[in-house]
Order: sequence, then C-alpha cells, then structure tokens
Amino acid sequence: MSLDGATLSNLSTLTNEPVIETSNLVKIYKEGAIKAVDNLNLKIGRGEIYALIGANGSGKTTTISMLTGSLFPTSGEIKVLGQQIPKKRRIVSTRIGVAPQEYALYTDLTVEQNIWFFAKLYSMQHELFLKKLDELLPILRLNERRKTTISNLSGGMKRRVSIACALVHQPEIVFFDEATVGIDPVLRAFFWDYFRTLSKTGLTIVLTSHVMDEAERANRIGLMRAGKLVEEGTPQEIKQRNSATSIEQVFIKLSSGTVADE
Amino acid sequence: MNKTKKFSLTRVIAVTWRILTQISRDKRTIAQMIFIPAIIMLIFGLVAGGAAKNLPILIDNQDIGYNIPSAQNSTSLHFGNSISSSLQSDNRVTVNVGSFNSGKIGVDNGTYYATILFPANFSKVLFLRTTGQDLNASVTIYIDGTNPTIQATVLAAIQNSIQTTFGSGGVVFDQQFAFGGVEFTGLDVSIPAVIGLVLTQIVLLISIITLVKETTSGVMSRLYATPLSAFERLLGFSLALLILGIGMTGVILFIGLVIFGAIVQGSFILLFFGAVLFALLNIFLAVFLSNFAKNELQAVQMVPLITLPSMALSGMLIPVSTFPDWVQTIAHFIPMYYANRMFEGIMLKGYGIGNLTSEFTIIAGIAILFFTLAVLTVKDRMPD
Repeated sequence: MSLDGATLSNLSTLTNEPVIETSNLVKIYKEGAIKAVDNLNLKIGRGEIYALIGANGSGKTTTISMLTGSLFPTSGEIKVLGQQIPKKRRIVSTRIGVAPQEYALYTDLTVEQNIWFFAKLYSMQHELFLKKLDELLPILRLNERRKTTISNLSGGMKRRVSIACALVHQPEIVFFDEATVGIDPVLRAFFWDYFRTLSKTGLTIVLTSHVMDEAERANRIGLMRAGKLVEEGTPQEIKQRNSATSIEQVFIKLSSGTVADE
Repeated sequence: MNKTKKFSLTRVIAVTWRILTQISRDKRTIAQMIFIPAIIMLIFGLVAGGAAKNLPILIDNQDIGYNIPSAQNSTSLHFGNSISSSLQSDNRVTVNVGSFNSGKIGVDNGTYYATILFPANFSKVLFLRTTGQDLNASVTIYIDGTNPTIQATVLAAIQNSIQTTFGSGGVVFDQQFAFGGVEFTGLDVSIPAVIGLVLTQIVLLISIITLVKETTSGVMSRLYATPLSAFERLLGFSLALLILGIGMTGVILFIGLVIFGAIVQGSFILLFFGAVLFALLNIFLAVFLSNFAKNELQAVQMVPLITLPSMALSGMLIPVSTFPDWVQTIAHFIPMYYANRMFEGIMLKGYGIGNLTSEFTIIAGIAILFFTLAVLTVKDRMPD
C-alpha cells in the first residue's frame, strides 16, 4: 500500500500521542448505498492542525460526523481521546467542539444567547462563560454584535459565531467543517494566527476545506477522493511527492474527474 | 473539564430557557396562541350541536292499567304500556326499563339522558278525565338539561308517543332537571367541548412547529456532538411547551369563561388542572409526531389529521351514544372523548375529582404513553 510510507513519515511529525485514530473506517449510507467513506485510516496527534481536503462528495463531512459521534460508522473503529466512538461519545463530547458545515445556530437568538446555550450544554460555570466570551468575541470581531440576532448577520459573521460556539467550552479537539468559508482573506489570516496559538496550547484542530492556500497552512493534509485517503503528509512532503509547486496542483491532479454531487 | 453526567437538569433547563426565549421573540406565534383559540371558540360556540338519536333513557312504568267498570265489553286500558312501546319504536331514544331511582342515578352519572315515571293510577286518571272529572295525569321526568339539543330531542320523543297514544292534552309533565337544574344556553353547553378542541388544535400546532423547526434548522448537526442526550432534549422541550401550554390554557379559559361567560358548576382549580393535563397529553403527542415530520409543512399537515377525527369521534358534535357500536368502540380510543367528558363533567354537571377519576387516569395514562413512544422513536444521531 502506497500510504504506508507516508503514514510512517507522518508519525514523526506527531507532537504527542494520537488523539484521533481510525482503522478501516467505512460508511455506507442506507439511502443509495453509497460508500461515502472507504477504509479510512487516520492518525492525528495532539496539537496538530490537520486539513482534510477533497472534492465535493469525497467523504470529508461524513468523516467529521463519524469522528464527533454524530453519525455511526458501518464498520471499522474510531478512537477519540482514547475512547471508543460512538460508544463513549457522550463522555468524549465535552472535550470536543464542532463547527458544522451549515451554521447550526439558532437564527432567532442573539450572538450571546447562542454561545450561552452551547456553553450551558457543557455545564460551564457562568463566570467562566463570561470570561471566555470576553476572550472570544474580540478575537472573532463580534464584540459589537453581542446583542445582534443571528438572522441579521452576514454569512461570514454567522461562521464566526459558529466557531465561537465550538470553542467556548475549551475543547481539546475542534472540528471545523468548511468553517472558514465566507470569511474574508484578511480575517482568515488573522484566524490562522489564532488557531496556531491555540494549537500550541495543545488544541487539536481538524478542518475540511476547498481553499487550498488555507490547507497549506495546516501541519498536515489528508486528501480524500471517493471516500479514500489518497494522499497524506505535510504540505511540503505532498508537493515533493507529486512534483507540484502548490497543493492546488496536487488537488487538481488527484481529484480530477471525481467531482460528485454535493 | 466537568465530568459528563448521564442526566443533567442544567442541560434540560438550558433547552427550556432557550425555547422560551425563542418563542418570546416570535410575535407571530404569540399572536396565534391568542387569536386561534378566540376565533375557533367563537365559531364553534355558536354552531355546535346537531341531530341526536339513540339517546338512552329509562322508563319506570308503574301504571297498573284500568278496567272500565260499566262497559259491556270490558275494555282494559293501559296507557303506560302504550306510550312505552311507542317510545321503543322511536329511533331518537333507546328505552331501558328499571326503577325510577336507579334511573335518576343513571342520569346523574351519565348513563341515561332521562328517566320517566308513570304512576300506578296513570291510566285510571286519564280515563276519569274523559268522564268529565278535572284531573291531570302526571308523568315525572328526570332529565339531563346540560345539552339543550338532547333535552329537546328526548322531550319531543316522549310528547310524540303520548300524542300518538291518545291525542293531545291531559298529561302533565313534572319535569325535574338533573345537575342542580341550571338551564344552559347553547354556548354554555358547547364551550366544554370547544375548550378540548381548541387546546388540541393550538397546543399541537405550536408544539409540533417548535419541535420540527429545531430538527430542520441544521442545528442538530451540532447538538448531536454535545453532551445533550435526546431524552434531555425532549424533556427540555416538554417543559418549555408545558409552560406555554399553561399560558395557552389560561388564555382559552379566560376567553371561554370571562368573555363568553360560560358557566363552571364545579371547581375552577380542577378545570384548570384538567385542561393543563390535557394540554400535556397533546404536547407529548406533538413530541412523538415530530419525530416523523421531515419539515414544517409535514408537521402542520399532521395537526388536522388529529383534530378532525377527534372532533367527529369525541362526541363534540353528536353524542357518542348515537354512533354505531363499532364507531363507539373507536371513540373510546380518542383522547378528546375523555377530555370532553372531563370538561362537561366539571363545567356543566359540577363533578368533582371523585366522579372523574377514570377520565383523569386515562388522560394521564395516554400522556405517559405518548411520551414513552416519543422517547423510543427520537433520533439521537444523523440518519444512517
């Protein structure tokens, strides 16, 4: 298997013990019997920023949903923070955060009310919540929008509220599914600085993206195609192996002809 | 970080608080909660009622008959029997035979709509009248006056039978009314059933929309990955909807009792409690049904599927006793049937909890059943 070499070399880049591990993970949806994820083996270490890239329908979101315990796999094993998923998903859920592809916010509530609600689900103390709110909102440039109803926000702002909801309870792993879509390049650059700061404190970030320059900022990239991991490594390694100058070139080369329906 | 508890009241209350906040910001829904009950109650309050048949009554025929003494061909008169047999062939009533006292008990507990007593000297007095004596034959009728339509139907059936037996005149009705003899207007009588209908309609509608709005908003993809369990979510929803349900019950009772001036013979507290219990039944039904609605449109379509058959089968428009037997059996599976009996009992007949134990128990039982079904069918993860 061509992946073995890459996987071995990647092990050395793991800063710490793996916090996410999957083995032979398969997901076949009942409707349509599509093999959305096909024999996926992932290993992601603590503090890593890992980018899953791939065309629409390549299985990125399905993978994230299974890792968070929201979707049950057809076969294979998942371990997150040392616990079996989905069996121990409720226990693990307090230690992970998710910003799904859709905004997944209560559009008729304000920014603050949304973040408060999710903080409450994690049984956060109110003082700690307020402290975290004061830390997150300025970074996400939402301080002026605290009392604004979500339905009155722009797409990029909703995205940021979604990120705030995923980070408020200080998780150890955070999943961003297309989470920086619709955020302007200046702010995105700023976010990445923030993500790196967080990852240095031990936060593991798993994200999916279509935006290749974004993926290049990750520690490691996994490229998915038709539910399979077809390439994995640091941006540098991947470019070298495919004799490409950018990840975008690799992406086009490896996922050409596989653009499926959304 | 906090340890995840299997069940957390904090999370349940967070859900409750969030839903109430959402609804409080939704002016249209609040307007619905007030105007829908008002409009339905007004319309149904004015038109409820309908043709009745097979109303159960009991006859105590003590008439010993009368043999005309001087006649050459000794004729024997028995008007009590004649009237009874005439009533038996009248499809508006179903005749039972028994003692007047047991009949009165039957009227009080809702088994019969009326009970009739023909005295021992009934035939004799009627005959003596024809000889010029100024006597009146008296028939005692103990009747349920809580529904003017039914009352009129029963009385008309009796009058007709007497008339077909020996023409008009001569028989005096000693009418006694059950349930304190309060005379009710059409509105008084229809309001208990309308309360049941309005509660079902508005509580189901608001609850099911609130629930389905959540499952279709895309927010579930985040919720599934939080410590919030499906059970906690349902409980949080039910609590919020119960608080709203109490509010809606208050509005409905206010409109019925204060604006329309409907009579409550029994305890108001019991009426309120019963109404909230019935609201809760509908909340749990909504929670259950919402598990099967893919979008708000489907959810809204489910509401008339519940309310229309309930209206027809609960006895709101036509008394259940007039249905064919097999339809009567079905009616016993309609929650609104018990709600109507409960509301009518408290409001019109002045029943206390003692007379309505079975109604309260059945309503509570169905509520628990619906919640259990909701918990068993709720989705706690994305569809496979």
